[in-house]
Amino acid sequence: MGLVESSKLPKPLTSLLNTARKYSLWAYQWGLACCAIEMGAAFASPRYDVMRLGVIPLPASPRQADVVVISGTVTDKMVPAIKRLYEQMPDPKYVISMGSCTNCGGPYWDSYSVTKGVDQVVPVDVYIPGCPPRPEALLEGIVLLQQRIGREDMAERWRGDPLVVQ
Amino acid sequence: MSDATGTTDAAEAPEAEEAPTDDARQAVLDQITAALGDAVLDSHIAVGRGLWVRVERDAWLEAAGHVRNGLGYHFFDYLSAIDWMPSPWGRYEYSAVDDGIRQFDPNAPVETGVAGGDTRFQVMCRLADIRRRQPHHNVVIKADLPDDDLRVASLVSLYPGANWHERECWEMFGITFDGHPGLRHLYLPGEFEGHPLRKDFPLLARLVKPWPGIVDVEPMPGEPAAEGDGEETEESS
Amino acid sequence: MTVTERQQLAYVDAQAADGRVNVELETDEGMILNLGPQHPATHGTLRVTAKLDGEQVVWADVVPGYMHRGYEKLTEVRTYPQVTTLVNRIDWLGSFANEVPFILAAEQLMEIQAPPRARHIRTILFEMARVANIVLFLGDLGVQLGAVTPAFYAFRDREHVLDQIEAVTGGRFHPNFDRIGGLKDDLPKGWIADTKAVMVRIRNYCDEIETLLFGNEIFEARTRGVGVVPAEVGLGYGLTGANIRASGVDWDLRRDGAIAGLAHGDVDWQVWTHPDGDSFARCWVRLQETRESTKIIDQLCDGLPGGPIMAKVPRIIKVPAGEAYVQTENPLGAMGYYVVSKGDLGPFRTKIRSASFSNVSIIPWLLKGVYVPDIITILASLYFILGDIDR
Repeated sequence: MGLVESSKLPKPLTSLLNTARKYSLWAYQWGLACCAIEMGAAFASPRYDVMRLGVIPLPASPRQADVVVISGTVTDKMVPAIKRLYEQMPDPKYVISMGSCTNCGGPYWDSYSVTKGVDQVVPVDVYIPGCPPRPEALLEGIVLLQQRIGREDMAERWRGDPLVVQ
Repeated sequence: MSDATGTTDAAEAPEAEEAPTDDARQAVLDQITAALGDAVLDSHIAVGRGLWVRVERDAWLEAAGHVRNGLGYHFFDYLSAIDWMPSPWGRYEYSAVDDGIRQFDPNAPVETGVAGGDTRFQVMCRLADIRRRQPHHNVVIKADLPDDDLRVASLVSLYPGANWHERECWEMFGITFDGHPGLRHLYLPGEFEGHPLRKDFPLLARLVKPWPGIVDVEPMPGEPAAEGDGEETEESS
Repeated sequence: MTVTERQQLAYVDAQAADGRVNVELETDEGMILNLGPQHPATHGTLRVTAKLDGEQVVWADVVPGYMHRGYEKLTEVRTYPQVTTLVNRIDWLGSFANEVPFILAAEQLMEIQAPPRARHIRTILFEMARVANIVLFLGDLGVQLGAVTPAFYAFRDREHVLDQIEAVTGGRFHPNFDRIGGLKDDLPKGWIADTKAVMVRIRNYCDEIETLLFGNEIFEARTRGVGVVPAEVGLGYGLTGANIRASGVDWDLRRDGAIAGLAHGDVDWQVWTHPDGDSFARCWVRLQETRESTKIIDQLCDGLPGGPIMAKVPRIIKVPAGEAYVQTENPLGAMGYYVVSKGDLGPFRTKIRSASFSNVSIIPWLLKGVYVPDIITILASLYFILGDIDR
């Protein structure tokens, strides 16, 4: 379509695509440490049910995932695996960094083996603070991500332009 | 029973001159000294709590062997090391209470702890007998290592569990264990340089941005304002 | 049979014969199976590399360290209250239990005893940490063996326990509630009655899991006789907790450890052992221990003494010089802290003896000659938490 080469897609098309995308996220859990338990509580427990937001947990592999929730301390030894995981995900992909360890190193900011923040390795869309953040905080983070997706312009992605945070 | 000391405790009232004794642990210590003789350099009994024995480095395997076969302590608790040199950077803080960076004196004698010690590195292991279900059947064995020759015999032939503990000890302190089937990295990635738990291995993040030791803390409800500035106070309360 | 079916069967037969030949050719060198650091069945980031001969393991290597955060180095630069905060995160499911041995070691060095009320509440929270931990273990056990349903029950009932812990400490896990000399705060009003109701729920959950999982013949077939650990081998590797009790060794630090800071001696409870030493035994012992913990909590809630919640400690805590080692029966096994103090604001050296480190060190020995699906069963039944292995 000539719509992609031109500057913008028509608004109704963009909003339809974005609404469809944001309410059908398949979330891959990269649960490393304590935050993984809160992520499990958000995803698998009946109290903080995440499926009501349209997010389904537990894809079979990263190749089928839309968003990855990285929760728990990232060590230098683990970084190649994270890089590989991120590259295996198909576009459009989003990264939620959950917990202070993935945001900035957290309580282990001075350790010799901890990566001070996963954004040194992969680009992060939403940072969720907390140690560990409550499951409600993770749900809030997912809602924020959905709002961001709602404001995106698909043509920018298809053209390969750098994404600007809205 | 929360306080299992020797049997004579009930008879001895806590008088000023007579300290309580721990007969059970004393008996264990006597057995070890009888078997090892001169190899036992020092010992310490904390009444009701623990027994420490310091042996010569060359008698390390023999001591563990006697404790295992002679005393029947088959349970391997842990093996680790202590680096007694104070850190050249203290706690990496600039505060009136703890000013390690300006106070470090590299020529000061190294103080060691319980059961003495002459050198900077001490390797220690704890062995116990849990089948007899009494709290005094355990011993912490320590051995000094000379600074220029950081090696000691491996306990893997006696306790298979020592394998991982010795690998971690090598990786963290640089102590070589003779007779270990394969000393390689356990925790750290293969390209890691240095031995992290040595006191002269710096925590670079703290050197770049030291933690502010002077923290303003609110007074407790009903208390006057905090006593003076420049005092490091607790995070809580 | 029609001609086509016979032809189909002959085709399948030929393929199967080819397959046998192929498998034999390939297994001359053996295949290396990598249960990589990210895997749903490894409780976190543990890597197991197994060399296979067909379906059997020839040798296995366990690579930990993907969660190594350098605890022992970090404690050297922190004060005692800061270390308490940090140390919560070693065994992140039963967090309060990690603080207790460290606080007890510091109290030993300071020659301070917590008041009786604090001792009792500490023990209650300690046992609740155990309940929260093992409840999730039982749910996760199902997931690893292929039954996904118990996990949802586990999360549902664990939420109630976390509610109670949050009501006291303010944090669902990582409570950071223990202080040298006592606890931070007292119990809120009505907490004891709520906790007893939650314990009834947990007992129902244990009954549900018993019928769902332990009564299931597939579970029995997959776990009985798998991964047998003889008691002598377990002692040599330093196995503790339910793992060694399932091999018949009757040892529980709550009863045999002479721990002065906890109140297990004041209640009536029993230690569960099992003679078999296989995976079923380990899982079964943990189930019984959870039930026993609910009874301990009930008894402690009934007999709670009054009094202060904190002993008289100075505002800035400087622990006198010395060395102390305190070991307690944590949910995963025996966890101990060897605290070396030089009269400073923080420890000089802390050696953290974590239960899972020794429990996992037996895996290379245990996996020899085992079939591939049994690898998962063994990992599940040994029950480790990565933070506990890697510290």
